[in-house]
Amino acid sequence: MKFKIKFITLAIISLFFSKLVSAETAPGFGSWDDVLKAADGGQVNVYMWGGSDAINGFVDDFYGVPLKEKYNITLNRVPLAGTVDAVNQVLSEKEAGVTGDNGNIDLIWINGENFWTLKQAQLLYGPFAAGLPNSKFVAWDNPAVNLDFGRPVDGMESPWSSAQFHFMYDSARNNYDDMPRSYAELSDWIAANPGRFTYIRPGKGGFVGTRFVKQIFFELSGGQEQWVGPFNQELYDKWAPKVWELLNSWEKDLWRSGETYPKDNAEMHSLFANGEVDLDFTQSPRGAGPTNTAGTTPPTSRAFAFYDNMIGDFNYWAIPYNAPNKAAALVYANLVLEPELQAAQVQPANGFCCGWGISTAKVTDAAGKAAINDAQNNLGDAAEDQNILAKALVSDIAAEYQDLIEADWEANVLLK
Amino acid sequence: MGGERLKIILSLTPPLLIIITLFFGGILYGLLQSLGYQPAIGKYDINFSAYYNVLFSERYARMFWTGLGLNLWVSFASTFLAAVFALFAALAIRKTFFAKTICNFIYSLNLPMPHLVVAVGMIFVFSQSGLLARFASQLGFINSPGEFPVLVRDKYGFGIILAYIWKEAAFFFIILMSVLQSLGENFEELAQSLGANKWQRFRYVILPLVMPNLFSASIIVFAFSFGAYEVPALLGVIYPQMLPVMAFEFFLNPDLNARSEGMALSIIIALIVMVLVIIYFWLTQAKIRKD
Repeated sequence: MKFKIKFITLAIISLFFSKLVSAETAPGFGSWDDVLKAADGGQVNVYMWGGSDAINGFVDDFYGVPLKEKYNITLNRVPLAGTVDAVNQVLSEKEAGVTGDNGNIDLIWINGENFWTLKQAQLLYGPFAAGLPNSKFVAWDNPAVNLDFGRPVDGMESPWSSAQFHFMYDSARNNYDDMPRSYAELSDWIAANPGRFTYIRPGKGGFVGTRFVKQIFFELSGGQEQWVGPFNQELYDKWAPKVWELLNSWEKDLWRSGETYPKDNAEMHSLFANGEVDLDFTQSPRGAGPTNTAGTTPPTSRAFAFYDNMIGDFNYWAIPYNAPNKAAALVYANLVLEPELQAAQVQPANGFCCGWGISTAKVTDAAGKAAINDAQNNLGDAAEDQNILAKALVSDIAAEYQDLIEADWEANVLLK
Repeated sequence: MGGERLKIILSLTPPLLIIITLFFGGILYGLLQSLGYQPAIGKYDINFSAYYNVLFSERYARMFWTGLGLNLWVSFASTFLAAVFALFAALAIRKTFFAKTICNFIYSLNLPMPHLVVAVGMIFVFSQSGLLARFASQLGFINSPGEFPVLVRDKYGFGIILAYIWKEAAFFFIILMSVLQSLGENFEELAQSLGANKWQRFRYVILPLVMPNLFSASIIVFAFSFGAYEVPALLGVIYPQMLPVMAFEFFLNPDLNARSEGMALSIIIALIVMVLVIIYFWLTQAKIRKD
C-alpha cells in the first residue's frame, strides 16, 4: 500500500514535470541518445493481435524496415489471438518472479480494459510516453488521449492510432439520406423497421455495445460535457432509468424481439452481412472500408454517423515492467508517431484501418503536412464525411460508468 | 518379484507425475485463486466471498442459477438423446447388409470432427440466415428467412443440444457397435428359439448386455458437455448462459478481482460434475447388479 501511494505520487510528480520540461526521458535512461545507443543492434519483441494480414504487413513493411535501416533494430512481431493473451503472459511471468530485463515481451498493442489490468497490477514500465521525442505531436491535453476508457494513462502507454464509434448501412438496401442522425431518430427508425436493428450487448468483449449505450446517456441528458471528470453517482442515477426505459421501449421491435443480443463485433457483422439486421457499428475513420475489404460486410456497405455524441478513443503501445529490451521498445513507440508514418497508416492503400494517433495540427514541416493531406483526401466512399465525424466527436468518460452500465443493463434490460 | 514391482512402479510414475502436477496442480491453484489468494495484485487473504458472490449476490445469483438449470437440461437431454439415437442406429446397422460399410462410415464420420467445427456447421445450416432458412424461403414455405424457427442461439439451448447429439451420437455408436459385434447373435437366437418376441429380445437380452458400456460412455459425455465451453459459446445466448461460458467471461474481466469469481465458478462446475458422476455411477452399478 505504501509502495502504491509512493508510486502514484511519483507518477503524478513526473507527469507534472514532464509537462514543464518536455525533454524528460524514460526511466533508466539519461537522454534520448542513451536510448538509441542501448537499442542499437537489439531485437524488439512486439506482441500484437495478429488477426489482420493487412495490419501485420503494415507493421512489417513500415516499421520493420526503418527500424533495421535507421536504428539497427530487428523487429520480431509475435501475432496473438487476443491482446488478453499477452496480458496473461505478463501476469504469469510476474507470478513466476520473472523481473528485471528477463521477460519476453517488449511491447503490447493495447488499450482500455487490458491496459487497466496491467496498470492495476503494476506490471508496466514507465512513465515513458512524454519522454519520446515525437510525443510533441500527441495531444496530451485531450482527455480522449490522456484517459484510456476513462482511466488515466499517466505516461504508461503511448498512442498509436485512433478510432471513433459510428454506424454502417448497406447502400444496396438503404439510402444514406434515410439514416437516423440521433438516438431520437433511431427510435423512430426502429419502430418503422421492426426486427431490423440490434446492438452489441454491453459487457466483457462487447465494449462497443457499452459505448452505444453510453452515448444514449449523453443525448438524453443534453450533452457529454457534464459527464467529463470524476465519476458522479448522482448524475448517473438521474439518467439511468430513462436510458433503460428507452432501450426497453425498443425491445419488441429489435432483432429476435430483444430476446438475445450479439455479444461482439464479429456476431454483429455476421448478422448485418447475412441481412438479418440493417445497421452495424464501425470504429474506423474509413467507415465500412476495412470490413468491406476483409469481406465481413457486403461490399456495398457505407458509413454514417449521428451528428452528436460519437465517442472516439485511442489505442496505444505499452511496455511491460520486465521487457527485455526497453530501449528498442522506446524507439519503436517513438517511430510510430512520425508524421509520415502516421499518414501512411491512414492511407487506405496501405491496408491499416485506423486513424491518427497524433494531432495533425501539431505537424509543421512541409513533407509531413503533405502526407497528411494526401491521406485525408483518400479515405474512399465507404467513409463518412470527416467533418461530420469531427463535429460529433466526444471523449470517453470515467471508467466507473463502464462497469455500472454493463451490470445495470443486464439487470434492467436483459433480465427485466 | 521385486524386479516386477519396480517395473510397475517405473512404468506408472511418468503418467502419474503428469496427472498429479497438471491436474491437482491446476485444481489447487484454481482453488487458491477462488479463495481470493492472488499475489499478483497483492491479495493474500483467504475467504469465501467469491463463492458467495457467484451463488447469492444480487449481481450474479440469477445468472448462476438459471445457468445451472440450462447446464443440467442441456447435458441430460443431449446425453440421453445421443445414446438413444446411437442405440437404434447400431441395432439397425449391425446386421450385415449391402450398404453396411458405407453406413458405418457415415455414422462414424463426425467423430474426429472438432466440436468447434460442428458448432459453426450448426450456425451455417440451422441459423435464421442459414442454408435451411434460405431454402425454405426460396421454396416459399416461409416468407422470409427471419420466419425460420430459432434453433441456434435460442434460450432453451436447442442448438447446443443438437450439436452435442450430432457429435456424441457417433461416439456412442462406435462403442455400441464394438460391443454388439463382439456379442454376435447367439444370445438373440437362443432367446428367439425360447419364444421371445422382438421387443423382449431387445429389452431382456440386448439392453442388459450393452448397458454397462452405454452407461460408462454416458458418464463421459455428460461430464464433457457439462464443462465444455466452445459449443455453448458459439450457439448459446447471453441469457441464460451456460456456466463454463459465464466462468470464462469472469476470467476475461479486466478487473483482476473478478478472477476469483471465475475460479470459484469453475470449481463449482467441477464439484457438480464430480458429485453427479458419483451418483450416476452408484445408481448404474446398483441397476446393473440388479439386472
